[in-house]
Amino acid sequence: MDNSEYLSKEKFIKETVRFSGISEDELLKKGVLKTGDFLDKNELIDRKNVARILHNYLRIVLKEKDEEDISKAYILKDLFDCRVCANHIAQVYLKGIMDAENLNGLVIFDVFGKVREDETEDYFRKIGKFIK
Amino acid sequence: MGEKNFENPDKITDLKYGFDAFKNGKALFNKKKRLPTMGWNSWNAFGSGNTEALTKAMCEKIVELGLDKIGYKYVVLDDGCYNAKRVDGHLESDPVKFPSGFQGMSDFVHSKRLKFGMYNDIGSKLCSGLEVGTCGYEETDAKDYIKWDIDYIKVDNCYNVWDNATFSNPENARFTFAPNIRSIRINKTNDSGKSVFQINLSAVEDGEITGNRAFIERDYVTGIGTFDGTGPDSTPLGELSSELVFNVNVPEDGEYDLYVTYATGSFEGAGAWLQVTVGENGEYYYDDFLSVTENQDSFKESPSIKISLKAGENRLRLMNHRRQENTLLSYAKIKENFEKINPDKDIVFSICEWGKTQPQNWGYKVGDSWRILNDITFQVGSDGDSGHASWEGAYTTSVTAQYNKAVIMDSFSGPGKGYNDPDMLMIGMDGLNETMCKTHMTMWCMMNSPLMLGMDLRNVKKDDFICSVISNEDVIALDQDPLGIQAKRIYTTKAVSPDTTYLRDNDRIDVLCKPLADGSIALSFINVSLGDRKDSVYIGTDLIKHYMSEKMADPDRFFNADKFEITDLWTKEKKISEEKGFSCNELKACDNLTIRIKPL
Repeated sequence: MDNSEYLSKEKFIKETVRFSGISEDELLKKGVLKTGDFLDKNELIDRKNVARILHNYLRIVLKEKDEEDISKAYILKDLFDCRVCANHIAQVYLKGIMDAENLNGLVIFDVFGKVREDETEDYFRKIGKFIK
Repeated sequence: MGEKNFENPDKITDLKYGFDAFKNGKALFNKKKRLPTMGWNSWNAFGSGNTEALTKAMCEKIVELGLDKIGYKYVVLDDGCYNAKRVDGHLESDPVKFPSGFQGMSDFVHSKRLKFGMYNDIGSKLCSGLEVGTCGYEETDAKDYIKWDIDYIKVDNCYNVWDNATFSNPENARFTFAPNIRSIRINKTNDSGKSVFQINLSAVEDGEITGNRAFIERDYVTGIGTFDGTGPDSTPLGELSSELVFNVNVPEDGEYDLYVTYATGSFEGAGAWLQVTVGENGEYYYDDFLSVTENQDSFKESPSIKISLKAGENRLRLMNHRRQENTLLSYAKIKENFEKINPDKDIVFSICEWGKTQPQNWGYKVGDSWRILNDITFQVGSDGDSGHASWEGAYTTSVTAQYNKAVIMDSFSGPGKGYNDPDMLMIGMDGLNETMCKTHMTMWCMMNSPLMLGMDLRNVKKDDFICSVISNEDVIALDQDPLGIQAKRIYTTKAVSPDTTYLRDNDRIDVLCKPLADGSIALSFINVSLGDRKDSVYIGTDLIKHYMSEKMADPDRFFNADKFEITDLWTKEKKISEEKGFSCNELKACDNLTIRIKPL
């Protein structure tokens, strides 16, 4: 894998700050980010953590209500692999912000997958539609 | 401190940790005979967003609502409270969320005369991904937890380095399944090296598969391991681990050479770790990896494995029970350190491996309770959001998914053993109406489940229905009855064997019966379905006698009584009955009728 095309934790946090206009410290205080996000900042960020940050931003900053019925996200075969991020993944998937992959009928979110810059831009573009 | 290097799980140095010892009923430690734990846990209310301020507010509310007086004593910090990494090898609190540290939090909780609980994980990281799992740090962590004066610990199972648990390397299945096995060869040579006995046996034609996990695939046997119980697909009853057994006849006592023709994998169903024993409770002649083959269909013969056989028939067992044994070893290591550092410190030990390794078989050896499935909800709350609960739904995330499994697990539970844990209560979260909350509470109390509240208590008022449900002392008395026996399902409108059939179709009424210490029983008629039901269900004393008499405190007094005092534990109505049976004529959707029946 050519790592250069994927975003590090640091870069994704910077993108979040740039998009939201809210400082890192404030995002941490609000609970959009967590302290672990600032460790090993050069590591590539994975999709489950992107889902968490995006969902927290929607919920906490934009006050967007969660989808109550997440059963349509049960199609994601790896949804239940993750007790702490299942709802984050379900919400960003159901709200059309992050897509899943269909591998011969097997639909997976790819929780450990990495994200590229163009994908990140697309996530924030879609999030922008939720700004009231 | 350097990074921990995890290569192989611990050796089984004592067969008390081994699979055959699971059935001997002996705990590994002097366990306290306690009743199910009651308290509040931060997870369902606040997820990873719990803070010191919120926890303090919950303590204040527990006292204000008088919940402490009726048993809710434990306040447990779940995932999301730690610093992301260890500091000089030690755990520390998240400095933003818990600025006073764990000692400060513990002191505050104790100052309210409550008990303080914490959370960790047997893996290398917590489920939230923070790199502070106990694996490799058991002694250090036990010292710190005792220093912080904890009274309770919940231990999770993410990032397990010896199994393919949540967030683990999926290839860890190589530890927990035997290779595919096609055949074996047993040979004996004399002193001059000449073969004096040889037998070749086919796995498919001559082997016997025990349990319900392994099966035949073309000319070999695969799936030699333990069924993963994290999801709701399988009954918790019966033999959930499989072995490949050969009945081997040999002419004389002695040492023989065993050769196994095998092919390794590293996925759920086929691994690379083989265990070999003969008969019951014997030593493991082999308990290690076999060398890896090209793939799971590419077979080769193992080097010689020395085994001792007796003249006549021997039961040679090829197996892999490491999924259960590795997990037991991991939990036991934490518990052993607590015992070593301060044997007098009373710490409730809550096993949270989500039913993956069938903990109903071994959990009693170390724990006070064991989760039976994955989480009851993934839609946990946060400050300002109650989170979401469901009565029914796919997978494990509903009241009924947890109930359906726990309700047939009564044989595993008891005061000297520990309790099945169908996860925390969801009362007070969005999605459950008052009727559902009452029945949820009834189910958990009848099943002797730990009663851990999971709502933001600031939203609870003394006169609201949530407070009245969680404070129903008559129902709590069932959970906390000193006899400590989980109710048995003695009737259902759906199946012939109500106590052992795993039912997932909720369109039914169940009747649960729980013996109590004063010689009474509790009967609960439960409409599991989302629709009203008009069924008339009658439970005669003969049916109660059939299922319950051996477990009752004073069966003679009960079955010879001329009349009974019957108390409805929700409406509080009392009546005297001379009938030899008890009935319920209709139940609204998700409703229950729960009565305490006292012989007069």
